[in-house]
Amino acid sequence: MEVTMDPLFLAWSYFRRRKLQQCSDICAKILQDNPYDQSFAVSQCLKTRALTEMVYIDEVEVDQEGIAEMMLDESTIAQVARPGTSLRLPGTSQGGGPTPAVRPMTQSGRPITGFVRPSTQSGRPGTMEQAIKTPRTASTARPVTSASGRFIRLGTASMLTNPEGPFINLSRLNLAKYSQKPNLSRTLFEYIFHHENDVKNALDLAAQATEHAQFKDWWWKVQLGKCYYRLGLYREAEKQFRSALNHQEVVDTYLYLAKVYQRLDQPITALNLFKQGLDHFPSEVTLLTGIARIHEEMNNISSATEYYKDVLKQDNTHVEAIACIGSNHFYTDQPEIALRFYRRLLQMGVYNCQLYNNLGLCCFYAQQYDMTLSSFERALALVGNDEEQADVWYNIGHVAVGIGDLTLAYQCFKLALAFNNDHAEAYNNLAVLELRKGRIEQSKAFLQTAASLAPHMYEPHFNLSILSEKIGDLQSSYTAAQKSEDSFPEHVDTQQLLKQLRQHFSVL
Amino acid sequence: MSESSDDRKWLDAHFDPVAGLYTFSSCLDLAELSGDGESQLVVGDLGSGSSGMKLKVYRGTALVSESSLLDLPAGLVAFFMDLHEPRIPAVAVASGPCVYVYKNLRPYFKFTLPGLEVNTLEQDVWQQAREGQIDPLTLKEMLEGIRKKADVPLSFCSLQFLSLDASDMDEFVQLHKQQPIRRQTVITCIGTLKKSTADEDGVSCLVIGTESSDIFVLDPEAFIILAKMSLPATPTMMDVTGQFDVEFRIMVACRDGNIYILRRESDKPKYCIELTSHPVGLVRVGKSVVVGCTDESLQGFTQKGKKLWRIVLPAPITTMASMDLPSRGFQAVLVGLANCEVQLYRDKNLLSTIKTPDVVSSICFGRYGREDGTLIMTTKGGGLMVKILKRTAAFEDRDSAPGPPLAQSIRLNVPKKTKLYVDQTLRERENGLAMHRAFQMDLSRLRLAAAKTYVKALESSLTPVSSSLSEPLKMNAVVQGLGPSFKLTLNIQNTATCRPVMNLAISFLYDESLYQMRSPYMRIPLLVPGLIYPVETFVECTSDKGISDIIKVFVLHEGRNCPLLTAHINMPVSEGLKLH
Repeated sequence: MEVTMDPLFLAWSYFRRRKLQQCSDICAKILQDNPYDQSFAVSQCLKTRALTEMVYIDEVEVDQEGIAEMMLDESTIAQVARPGTSLRLPGTSQGGGPTPAVRPMTQSGRPITGFVRPSTQSGRPGTMEQAIKTPRTASTARPVTSASGRFIRLGTASMLTNPEGPFINLSRLNLAKYSQKPNLSRTLFEYIFHHENDVKNALDLAAQATEHAQFKDWWWKVQLGKCYYRLGLYREAEKQFRSALNHQEVVDTYLYLAKVYQRLDQPITALNLFKQGLDHFPSEVTLLTGIARIHEEMNNISSATEYYKDVLKQDNTHVEAIACIGSNHFYTDQPEIALRFYRRLLQMGVYNCQLYNNLGLCCFYAQQYDMTLSSFERALALVGNDEEQADVWYNIGHVAVGIGDLTLAYQCFKLALAFNNDHAEAYNNLAVLELRKGRIEQSKAFLQTAASLAPHMYEPHFNLSILSEKIGDLQSSYTAAQKSEDSFPEHVDTQQLLKQLRQHFSVL
Repeated sequence: MSESSDDRKWLDAHFDPVAGLYTFSSCLDLAELSGDGESQLVVGDLGSGSSGMKLKVYRGTALVSESSLLDLPAGLVAFFMDLHEPRIPAVAVASGPCVYVYKNLRPYFKFTLPGLEVNTLEQDVWQQAREGQIDPLTLKEMLEGIRKKADVPLSFCSLQFLSLDASDMDEFVQLHKQQPIRRQTVITCIGTLKKSTADEDGVSCLVIGTESSDIFVLDPEAFIILAKMSLPATPTMMDVTGQFDVEFRIMVACRDGNIYILRRESDKPKYCIELTSHPVGLVRVGKSVVVGCTDESLQGFTQKGKKLWRIVLPAPITTMASMDLPSRGFQAVLVGLANCEVQLYRDKNLLSTIKTPDVVSSICFGRYGREDGTLIMTTKGGGLMVKILKRTAAFEDRDSAPGPPLAQSIRLNVPKKTKLYVDQTLRERENGLAMHRAFQMDLSRLRLAAAKTYVKALESSLTPVSSSLSEPLKMNAVVQGLGPSFKLTLNIQNTATCRPVMNLAISFLYDESLYQMRSPYMRIPLLVPGLIYPVETFVECTSDKGISDIIKVFVLHEGRNCPLLTAHINMPVSEGLKLH
């Protein structure tokens, strides 16, 4: 007869091997078979943890500000903050980074980053109109970034799973009883917080548990802070995290607290906090990354790059740092170095459409023509969705413009539009090609569309302005030029055009 | 540099950012209204432009008097109208067709411009309306006819009547038919001209410019018209020198962009200065005239209209005034600019720059209180600023010819060529042929791949732009809303040059378990070329799972089985839940 393994031990083993579904199934069986056994409590605990692990997401990394939180934010103090103290108004780059003429902008007026993570794409829109128009789920930056942070929408996991009803019925739970048991209470808290996503009950439990621990347990304080943060009570969250830091210095707590400050739009405080954290945990990668990200969001690209380099000194496989430094080199006219960084990513096993896309562009601009088009071909073979495909075609279109094959360029931009109807850059470039063909009406229509799709880009406004000026519609030309000036005040050509138009208007 | 030097030149006497003074330089004057040797500031306040017009008097830092005006003031001057002691000047406020004269700040006299010639036909028509022979509609037709043909323009009353809706006409006729038809002009600018002596407190005549392109000189005591001169265009600003009985010169800037110079002998302009853009300010300094223009330039002319110089200013001009300090023999021009600066020019040399917290809308320099050199400015936001020129201040002409431009010494941030780059160029040099071949082969392959995909996209009408010759259309979609309700706006445009497109319809393809659409099939009206037609519909997200999907939009042509255009809309995740 075969010796069977103790099911509880098997479940534990499964849990260790992260075969969570099997673990949960075995636990369920144990719970059903011998409900009054000694192993009951253990297996219940195990199942709770397995279920939590299944939907666990890194709370520090994954955080996207919802549109409602962005626009209906009551904790905003100054609407017009001084430049360099707010994430909301990036202003002109203080770090001497490239201008929008060289490095494309995201909608919020920041240069695009080399690494997509929540909050690099959307930023904070200026007006309600702009906010509700934003395509919030899709759209990557162009040229495509090398890796994208994946995230499930918070709090929806439990709704999608569990067809036969919840494992623990929260409404019947005696939170006070469980909060007395330190062994159980933490597992239960994580279950409620991550799996059930019931922040209110989690907060209750955490509050009672921290009381039971006589306000001396830093872990519970961090959890309280997390709950407050989820509920949008940032000042309370800050208090809890600060108090937790007094008990015990933990990197995670620093990261949470910095997140609170970023949400409160106090990037300088967050930076100071990170530096304080670095005193206790010298060269900690996550803290360095945090600093780099804040610098990047505040449009200070050169210091962001410095910090990313520090990150690489500690962890030379840090994808985000490599990607960001690479894209910075690309946009500061050193594509050959960017190529090195992207090749490094390839060596590390990052193998996706975006990376090949970037490699293709770098090869083209670094004059390594033999590898350019094969990279794009691979990128096309690896596309995962329509947006990626649109981006690859858009970049091929750029190469085609570069080698003077306008027919190919035209087809590529059309294809980019076919795969992504909101591709404002493609509309803009298509308009220029149409104009070269002499089809003014088409060109104008495309430019208007591009301008309405991406009001943050100055190119369509400027092109429309030039076009209108050529056909003699000075008034439209002037309004378009003004819009162009709004989105890129330092643009010399716009300035000159405006000056010329003003002269036109003042002459009798 | 200018900042520090201005601190040394001007004393900040008073600044009230919320004084609520909205006025222009023409409605600002300084005068000793109380006769005690203290000069006061008289302001014609424009209020909000439709109400709150006031005549205000400031003494020191306080508002001492305020009286309402009936209409917007076009100009304000203080002048001596008689020889009585004590010598207290009267204030004339020009507004609408009248000049209101105030003495001791009390209304004293109202002078109304003589009416203009009225079209006899118009008078007849109104006469008929009065007798009830014609109804308002016929009246309107006849007036329209007169307006088109006659040389003499219609009266204001008739013009107002023509702009009314048919329903209001009856009432208007009832109300106005008893009143005689008059044609009235309005005053556009006002100035003063000494009568017979050049003394500081000599009796002055009023000089009035009107909308009907006339200049009137009024007698100060009897208020009768002493002289009438006509201009080719409507005057906007004027400057007057000399004495009426001896010799005078009136410089008038007109709406046609010319400046006309009138002399005593003739009732027609003697000289004409043709400017390249519209004048916004006219100031006489000694024997020359300084004109500010809309093309951000300041130009100097002789009294006979010869151009002396022209300089370009850093910003558009908002207002101009002369700065005359006879005790020091100093004359210059103050220019208010739209970049919150007031610049002081003597001829073409910039003497100093005053930075102001707001854009200055009016400037006046002269004796205020007991201080001779006082600069009074009001700002666009309604603020009042008083600065006093320091006795020690000295203005030097700076040589405005600078050295080489600053941009010459700025270094360009050109990145260094890296070793990597050099290595790569070496590789390129060595394997040039192989690289070129590889590239050309890849290019042909890519062209083929692109053409294939393009044809596929065209065949299935995947693009949001239709390139067919008969229906060149373009569509883009905008999704608005937080969810669960979204508004879907499809902007459709016909990009043909002149042909309209008809018989189109829109339909949608979507996951019915996720979305509900109010109208999944819509007809599109005739599309006129060039215009953007927004087609709106509402989408309801029925799922609470926080997932989103693509909605496909097809533009269809009646009688054809394949769509003209397709657009894919990435729906945003619904952030709200539907209430049940």
